[in-house]
Amino acid sequence: AKNNVTSFQRKGSRASGTDSGGSRLVSIAGTRPSVRNGQLLVSTGLPALDQLLGGGIAVGTVLLIEEDKYNIYSPLLFKYFLAEGIISRHSLLVASAKEDPANILQELPAPFLDDNCKKEFDEDACNHKTPEPNIEMKIAWRYQLLPKMEAGPVSSSRFGHYYDVSKRIPQELIEASRWHGFFLPEKLSSSLEVEPCSLAHGYLKLLKFIQSIIYEEGFDGSNPQKKQKNILRIGIQNLGSPLWGDDICCTENCSNSHSLTKFLYVLRGLLRTSLSVCVITVPSHLIQNKAVIARVTNLSDTVVGLESFIGSEKETNPLYKDYHGLIHIRQIPRLNNLTCDVSDVKDLGFKLKRKQFTIE
Amino acid sequence: MLDSLLALGGLVLLRDSVECEGRSLLKALIKKSALCGEQVHILGCEVSEEEFREGYDSDINSRLVYHNLFRDPLNWSKNGKAFPEGPLGALRALCRRTDPGPVTVALDSLSWLLLHLPCTILCQTLHALSHRSSCPDSSSSMERVRVLGLLHEELHGPGPVGALSSLAQVEVTLSGMLSQTSANILYRRPRQRPTHQTQCFSILPDFSLNLQGMSTLESQPHPDPPTTQADPTAHLTFNLRLSEKEKEAKDSLTLPFQFSSEKQQALLCSGPGQATSCIFYEPDAYDDLDHEDPDDDLDI
Repeated sequence: AKNNVTSFQRKGSRASGTDSGGSRLVSIAGTRPSVRNGQLLVSTGLPALDQLLGGGIAVGTVLLIEEDKYNIYSPLLFKYFLAEGIISRHSLLVASAKEDPANILQELPAPFLDDNCKKEFDEDACNHKTPEPNIEMKIAWRYQLLPKMEAGPVSSSRFGHYYDVSKRIPQELIEASRWHGFFLPEKLSSSLEVEPCSLAHGYLKLLKFIQSIIYEEGFDGSNPQKKQKNILRIGIQNLGSPLWGDDICCTENCSNSHSLTKFLYVLRGLLRTSLSVCVITVPSHLIQNKAVIARVTNLSDTVVGLESFIGSEKETNPLYKDYHGLIHIRQIPRLNNLTCDVSDVKDLGFKLKRKQFTIE
Repeated sequence: MLDSLLALGGLVLLRDSVECEGRSLLKALIKKSALCGEQVHILGCEVSEEEFREGYDSDINSRLVYHNLFRDPLNWSKNGKAFPEGPLGALRALCRRTDPGPVTVALDSLSWLLLHLPCTILCQTLHALSHRSSCPDSSSSMERVRVLGLLHEELHGPGPVGALSSLAQVEVTLSGMLSQTSANILYRRPRQRPTHQTQCFSILPDFSLNLQGMSTLESQPHPDPPTTQADPTAHLTFNLRLSEKEKEAKDSLTLPFQFSSEKQQALLCSGPGQATSCIFYEPDAYDDLDHEDPDDDLDI
């Protein structure tokens, strides 16, 4: 009989004990395992960027965004990341030295609702296509039988949503989410004296804050009886700017040149031991010492650079006339494998349409 | 427009140089905001109070609140007139003011402050100054605090100037010759593209602004050298376009794998009667042709 063919037996589901039930894979909303190396990924909020990074950002890593010169497009990517966190019901930690985190959250883009979106996408597509008769394919007729690729939102996807930058996220979604804000001027106002230490004052406070949130909320597994595992999305804006107390943007030979690099090192340690993802924007065009930029790049896992055409001679170059800037994928991590997933297309441009940020 | 510089809040950076000084523009802007009825606080570091107030008539002078750092910056005289905490204390005192109404703070000059304070502390204090939120008990929106800072760009390297520019909402770079001064204005609005404008102006002896021609440059027009574009579609060995007759011929061509009615007929007709192909096979010595059906062994 068939049952005696093999002595291997499938392990039955464990009755009790693990919090995720039967399967041993952790299933958290808004995440999915990578098809390449099995790492748990979260979406950046921009499905195009997810695709370029190999499916998304791996949990426990840092995505560094090098800001464009006038800081117009990098806050958009930052906001996409946070909005995706709210929609997927992750916890958020927003840190900034320039803007109040509550204000940043107010300006997040609204997600596309499924019924309106298809119309928007279709009319968008029609505007750009030249009127061509629908020629039936004669030679490659098999391809006509294939289903068309969806460029727009798929209603059943729970990983990666589309957002409308011309609209604000509804207030009730923000209120329903768990978020923690770190606004540096508020934290610094208590102490006027700056202790000399190797880590800039603002960075030290931020690290302590992140550590306390991770510990209290149990993202590092310290409270195993918590009901459901969730991801902490950390967003830090303008790291390295003088507003954080770091002078790498001011001088070439700075006194605390290792402040930012130490911060990144400690931050990565915190991230690796907890279920969190971090997106940092850095004004690398202001950093005076090129060695610091190289070190910061090496210390981050994924690095994406934005270069906008405003004010440069590329603005009038006919090659770039449809785009607002270039996006450079500078580094992709090799997590638990030997090769990384670098996309074949090296020259990528982005443009900010009225409702959407697209990468092509 | 130089007029509307004061309409926006935040930090206005006036960059001047040896060729073209900016203090007179600073004084002209101060006069404008004083005439609008705002409070004006001046942190004077580089020139003495008498020299600064020179040229203003008395009612404007009465509206200016002058914080004098020039006389005794290091507080050597200890007679209480100077600022005990130095320039940083003076700036922080300005931040902590709680007077209602729109305020203009003029810093003369930022270069002096940059040389005496670390750049990061100055940036943080400037940010706090220009983004002062209202008192917790009042629910009104943020006050408009305008900070006018004079920066002598030749004194500093690209680092501090870049850091201060990224903080500024408006950046005015002065250039020009003796009579004709032009200001290159860059507006950095928070979430919009920055816009450039160039305006020529002159300052009259009583520090009022005389605006002359203006040109708005959204993007720099480059004088393209007149080169003829090489046409890549010329001199090809193949035909890129089809004429009408060729199109018809193409459409009427039957492709080899298309199952058209003619082919169907040909296949059907070739069934019985026409031996289209035959295979001739000679069995050789090693062939073991067993005509039994191997499936007969099965017990089904």
